[in-house]
Amino acid sequence: MRKKSLLWLTAFLMTFLGAAGMVWAAQGEIRLGSINDMTGATSDVGKDYALGIAEAIAYVNDIGGINGKKIKLFQYDYGYRIPEAVTTYKRFRDFDKVVAVLGWGTGDTEALSPTITKDKMPYVSASYSAHLTDPKKTPYNLFFCTDYSSGARSAITAWYDNVWKKDAKYKARRDKGEKPRLVCFYMAASPYASAPIKAIKDHAALLGIEVGPDQDVSLTALDTKSQVLGAKQFKPDLVWHGNTTMSVATAMRDAYSLGLGADHVVNVWGFDENLPRLAGPAAEGAMGATVCAFFGGKAPMMNKIQAYAKRINPGVPANKRLVRTIQAWGAVLLLTDAMKIADKQGKLNGEGIMKAMETFKNKDFGLGSQPASFSATDHRPTTGAPIFKIEKGKFVLVEAVDLKKRWPDKWEKEWMGW
Amino acid sequence: MQYLPCGIYHEYYQQDHAWWQTRFVIGKMILLGIFIFYILPFWGGLYWVGVATLTIYTIMGALGVQLLIGYCGQVTLGHAAFIAVGAYTATLLTLQLHLPYLLSMFIGGLVAGLWSVLFGLPSAKVKGFYLIMTSLAAQFVTVDFILTQYVSQIGGRGQAFSLPPGSITIGPLVLDSDLKVYFLGAVLTILLTMGLANLLRSKVGRAWIAIRDNDIAAETMGINIITYKLMAFFVAGFIGGIAGAFWVSTLAALSPEHFQWFWSLWLVGVILIGGVGSIYGTIFGSLFMVLIMEGLKFIIIPLTPVYPALTMKFLFLKEATFGLAICLFLIYEPNGLAYRWWQIKNYFNLWPFSY
Repeated sequence: MRKKSLLWLTAFLMTFLGAAGMVWAAQGEIRLGSINDMTGATSDVGKDYALGIAEAIAYVNDIGGINGKKIKLFQYDYGYRIPEAVTTYKRFRDFDKVVAVLGWGTGDTEALSPTITKDKMPYVSASYSAHLTDPKKTPYNLFFCTDYSSGARSAITAWYDNVWKKDAKYKARRDKGEKPRLVCFYMAASPYASAPIKAIKDHAALLGIEVGPDQDVSLTALDTKSQVLGAKQFKPDLVWHGNTTMSVATAMRDAYSLGLGADHVVNVWGFDENLPRLAGPAAEGAMGATVCAFFGGKAPMMNKIQAYAKRINPGVPANKRLVRTIQAWGAVLLLTDAMKIADKQGKLNGEGIMKAMETFKNKDFGLGSQPASFSATDHRPTTGAPIFKIEKGKFVLVEAVDLKKRWPDKWEKEWMGW
Repeated sequence: MQYLPCGIYHEYYQQDHAWWQTRFVIGKMILLGIFIFYILPFWGGLYWVGVATLTIYTIMGALGVQLLIGYCGQVTLGHAAFIAVGAYTATLLTLQLHLPYLLSMFIGGLVAGLWSVLFGLPSAKVKGFYLIMTSLAAQFVTVDFILTQYVSQIGGRGQAFSLPPGSITIGPLVLDSDLKVYFLGAVLTILLTMGLANLLRSKVGRAWIAIRDNDIAAETMGINIITYKLMAFFVAGFIGGIAGAFWVSTLAALSPEHFQWFWSLWLVGVILIGGVGSIYGTIFGSLFMVLIMEGLKFIIIPLTPVYPALTMKFLFLKEATFGLAICLFLIYEPNGLAYRWWQIKNYFNLWPFSY
């Protein structure tokens, strides 16, 4: 008996030490940390994102890494628990000695923001919260695409222009001079879902949209009938969905079965290939703020993305992959392109990488996203977003909204950092 | 019960109730003090300081749960709510009224204690499963409703906000590094643990234990069980509030997501694994839960480049392991790690004649 357990122990140690040996053998590498959610409240979108991160890093390494130096990726699942994100970050900083971190949710990114600023650690997040775009407050936070607030403003603008003003079903009310009505469905306790709400209400006032009482829907909701019934009393024309795909699909199905009769606009993390699959006919006509091409959609890099998805993660079939993969590539390409510049200048550290990112003007990553520009005073990557609509289960481009063109004064002076 | 070396006889009650009864114990405590205040922070590296800070926060959070469940028999599944009340009160007092941080922390503790008493009131009438339901209500009413919808709006910062650098100070000292926060936490934890341990050997503590063991018998002996239960809720809430106020200093950021129901459950897990009805148990449980999570990182992070499946497939087990660990502890070690520690100590105390 004892012999057997000794044998197991040896086998375990051999695999572990062998692997560790292989890992530590590689020298002259650059270390990156990635904090992902594969088991927590946002794992419905987090798993695909995590796969995408690993694939994109493999691609960057294949085309030569950072000027010849390979990237070593440390990836860890924190289960959407903030205390664990904090210790994982500290491990990356003090133990693995990474030069930059690829982060995940708004809650932990905003919670870690004071710490990373102090540590001068570039932090490219999957949270596109507009709170992270003011370099005066959060100089080391960055992301590659439209922030939540601008995305929401764009989506509501697109609905207002293309549906409210044109659709025949609203003709009678338009002619009477009535205002459209909007209700927000989101998890108030989640910083991700509540991040763009202030901007949405501001934008509704700007366009002359009436806003009804907010409905609190959990990120893990399986039933939203009471919220839909609560919203129904207000008779909304438009519902804003601020959660992730699973919760959004639940809310849409309940709205459909209870005959809410409103159109839907969805935040970026609630709008992907799974939405029409989960919500079926309830998702027809829903519009979403998208930040890049869908998986298999039109983009110069799409062939490579698909090839790497197949090569690195052959167990996950292509029809199960999501737009999240492309978003992950965006985060990786933004960071690694900046690292290449910083490395050439011999400043591969926090400050050097951020300076390099701030030189990007109209940078196109080939992912079908809007070109991104950064400056030392403004970290909002884009000035609008392409708005897609679900028609017969497929995504169709409605309009690419440019907020800066339409409201230049407000864009420059008012809409910064929220 | 504890064993004493030969030749040591207690003649007074003070000796019998002293914390450290022999020189050997005092020596061990000095070594522990040196470890906590010198070796770990100055030789351990910042990463371990970070892990220790999280452990300290878990200990402080779990102390209140230990008091309620382990010493007073009032099962609670909503303790994160009181931690949150302390965190929000302290932060808003610091930011809005510019009170000193330690004073805000103390007031945060008091407010959390009173809030806890409010949700402890049903314990006068209900027990067991029904009390669990009311503590669950505390969690959702406090965190998801009152704090998210109303309290977060004070000052117009929104649900998630960070504190400007340099706003957390103790006198002239700005708490701006992991090390300073660690020292603050270590001192607070020691004070709270000593305070609670002292309470437990007083009349109040004996009354709590009597209520836990049999509330009807306790009442017939003249203990006013409602007063003492509410007192337990107050002390537990107070300790939770201090823990919350301390957590603010570690991150300088706050949102309701820090205090989700999962964290309440986690704290109950901590005391189940550590040992119900033992202050040691709280500390061992916290160490176990934090170190297991960190240990997993040590195994998984270096292995993922070689076995990529680990990240995607194995990590799902992590959530299951938490439940499994509690099941296994309840089956094979129902008294928790604290009991095992007691046995180990006795083995050495009685060696070589352990019969």
